Amino acid sequence: MILAGGKIYETSEQPRLLDSLAGEISRTRQTLSLDPEKVINAADKLGKRAAAGEFSGMISEFLPDFPQEYLRLAGEYLNGESLRFRLKQELGEYPAACRTIAPPYGLESAEVRLLPLGTLFHIAAGNMDGLPAFSVLEGLLTGNVNTLKLPQADNGITVEILRRLIEIEPEISPFVYVFDTPSTDVPAMKRMAEVSDGIVVWGGDEAVRAVRALAPPGAKLIEWGHKLGFAYISGYEDKPAELSALAKHIIDTRQLLCSSCQTIFIDAEDMEEIRAFCREFLPYLEAAAHEAPVNDIGAAAEITLRKYSARLEEHIGAEKSGREEFRGERCSLTACPDSRLELSYMYGSCLVKPLPREQIVTALRECAGNLQTVGLLCRRESRGELTDILAAAGVNRIMRAGNMSVSFCGEAHDGEYPLRRYVRVVNVEK
Amino acid sequence: MSYIGRLFRMKDPFDLTGSERLFLNAVRENCGFQYQNCPEYRKILDGEGFHPDMLREYSDIERLPFIPTLFLKKHRMYSMPQRKMLIRATSSGTSGAFSDIGFEAGGLLCGLNMVLTIARRWRLLSPIPCNYVVMGYRRHKSSNAAAAKTAYGYTLFAPALSRTYALKYSDGKFSPDIDGVINAIVRHSRSRFPLRFIGFPSYTYFVMKLMEERGISVKLPKRSLIMLGGGWKQFYKQQADKQEFYALAKRVLGISEDCIIEAYGAVEHPILYCDCKNHHFHVPVYSRVVIRDVHTLKPVPNGTPGLVNLVTPMIKATPILSVMTDDLGIMHDGAECGCGINSPYFEIIGRVGLHDIKTCAAGASELLSAAVSGGEVQK
Repeated sequence: MILAGGKIYETSEQPRLLDSLAGEISRTRQTLSLDPEKVINAADKLGKRAAAGEFSGMISEFLPDFPQEYLRLAGEYLNGESLRFRLKQELGEYPAACRTIAPPYGLESAEVRLLPLGTLFHIAAGNMDGLPAFSVLEGLLTGNVNTLKLPQADNGITVEILRRLIEIEPEISPFVYVFDTPSTDVPAMKRMAEVSDGIVVWGGDEAVRAVRALAPPGAKLIEWGHKLGFAYISGYEDKPAELSALAKHIIDTRQLLCSSCQTIFIDAEDMEEIRAFCREFLPYLEAAAHEAPVNDIGAAAEITLRKYSARLEEHIGAEKSGREEFRGERCSLTACPDSRLELSYMYGSCLVKPLPREQIVTALRECAGNLQTVGLLCRRESRGELTDILAAAGVNRIMRAGNMSVSFCGEAHDGEYPLRRYVRVVNVEK
Repeated sequence: MSYIGRLFRMKDPFDLTGSERLFLNAVRENCGFQYQNCPEYRKILDGEGFHPDMLREYSDIERLPFIPTLFLKKHRMYSMPQRKMLIRATSSGTSGAFSDIGFEAGGLLCGLNMVLTIARRWRLLSPIPCNYVVMGYRRHKSSNAAAAKTAYGYTLFAPALSRTYALKYSDGKFSPDIDGVINAIVRHSRSRFPLRFIGFPSYTYFVMKLMEERGISVKLPKRSLIMLGGGWKQFYKQQADKQEFYALAKRVLGISEDCIIEAYGAVEHPILYCDCKNHHFHVPVYSRVVIRDVHTLKPVPNGTPGLVNLVTPMIKATPILSVMTDDLGIMHDGAECGCGINSPYFEIIGRVGLHDIKTCAAGASELLSAAVSGGEVQK
């Protein structure tokens, strides 16, 4: 299904629609502009209607496993007040920001305008339901024309969300094109890239590499890559509460999110301390796993097999990694002697490693590009110092144990304000 | 004769109870051989705290450490020098990695005895020549793919008048020739001799669906057969309901359900499982199937889904005595089937994996890497 100019087309019409894409986009950009306030109002209405349960039927059709929690989060995200707050937080006064400045030398006065980047091409991985639509919404808020290539795993919900948005505010229609092009259709993706000023790519290193290969030289690449979250423990304020919260976070997110805890670093050098922590924390993890068991047996089996294979590899390997697994019911902890941030096996299987605070920056240096969230557990008096060290190491979100995956309105994304990446600064001589 | 040889010469291929002692001895014989001759296998058993001498009771077979097929794809392990391996076969390797299994003469002889016993029982052996349509690819010198070898093997059960292949090899890659297949079907439907289809269920389904859309239906000659193998696994999501498959075969090809035989097997476990008239895979004397808990890997009772662990002492050249597949299955009591075979049967219900899981930490980016490599069917 294709969405272009507010209308739905069959996939088979893609060649014809691609032929006219460049012309239509130029026409839109020459004659029209999009008022963010109109986008905000439309999103607000859509969010309110969703919260009122208007789309429940549609959601259960497209997304049978959709957690109700998401609906609440989507409602908060789409809320007019939060969108206006975000816009202000990220861009200041926009788009009215037509400031006149008097530089110290050169021109006497110049005008500074914050304008849309132009045309954005969004390539979204299917890592979260509805994410492609939110990516487009950010493009619309900043006044851009948006072309979206749907992820293969999309189940129709994205087109439906955007179609409803256009229904509420028809002026949005010339600013949205959605194609269900398969990723194998490189020529079609190249054509979409060619008409774009910015390419927004969500995904891992491989996705980013693939997109770089098809991007025209002039296009700005806006990459939202995969990140690894971790916890850092150096004492506690309230040990049982904090360990329970961390365990609940690990189990509830299935460790699938960028902000999920994969590795737990302990401010210690001695492996015996690491093993002692594993023994102490395992019951917390088991309790959380008992509360929210993984029901997908295919995923559970995959993880179990990977762990088993790793064990066999250890047997035949010439070198021993020195890892020791502490197996609990439906969860596990692995004590590792190294201090590298690493992806766990997920689904309740965390790695535990020593990392004395003096070595934090050095140890995290090698994965600086993948850093995002830390859940910091420490004594009250150390929080300030450890926060500074972790920030210096390149971590962008420093949260409490249980809130690693909690987001708030106006927060930066991987250390940046997304909307700022979708606009450009234009200087005009007065 | 060795225990292994005797096991594969058993008259009744489904006398599981009667074969228990012999099976245990054959497993111990094979396990001892692997332990002596394959250093990696020995390390694995040592690491898991197991020794071939610990195979004392029949139930000890479940305690034998198993090797995941995933592991075999990453690590080549052999218990014999290359020159003793008559055949090397590779798995299809949809994800790029594949296992490479060596077969020695003794094991192949066992396999031959098994295939003849099973094929006779299923009345697949026939002196009447027939035309074959293979919904896969032709054997090719440059490829060791087992799927092609197995498909070719099936075309030996009855003398071949012709063989038509759905996947054609040219310029270093395979591409489908669906029209060629449909033409062959129409042509052979007028022949006096039966037609036998061999191949993946998904491709066969696709061709029949296409024929129906084009309004082509034929009545295939008497004794025609559809032999399905290679599993539904890659197409698990679109898995055509089996009943719909049978109904479609009846409408489009005039073939009734009892002439559709499905086989299950893998390069890493070369046992031929043919479905009974109720379409169940009963376990033959040559192997044992253990379903294991997806969390603890402990055996689960019949009726509970889990990972499918397959055990056979057939091959000595490669340590595939006990392998863990990527399949999820359920074991049932033989009596529940009612086809007359009393050995338990298993059902494949899916595959392990995080396919539908939208993970961001692990990087759900395969989609785009496919974009770079292109979409053709690669060799």
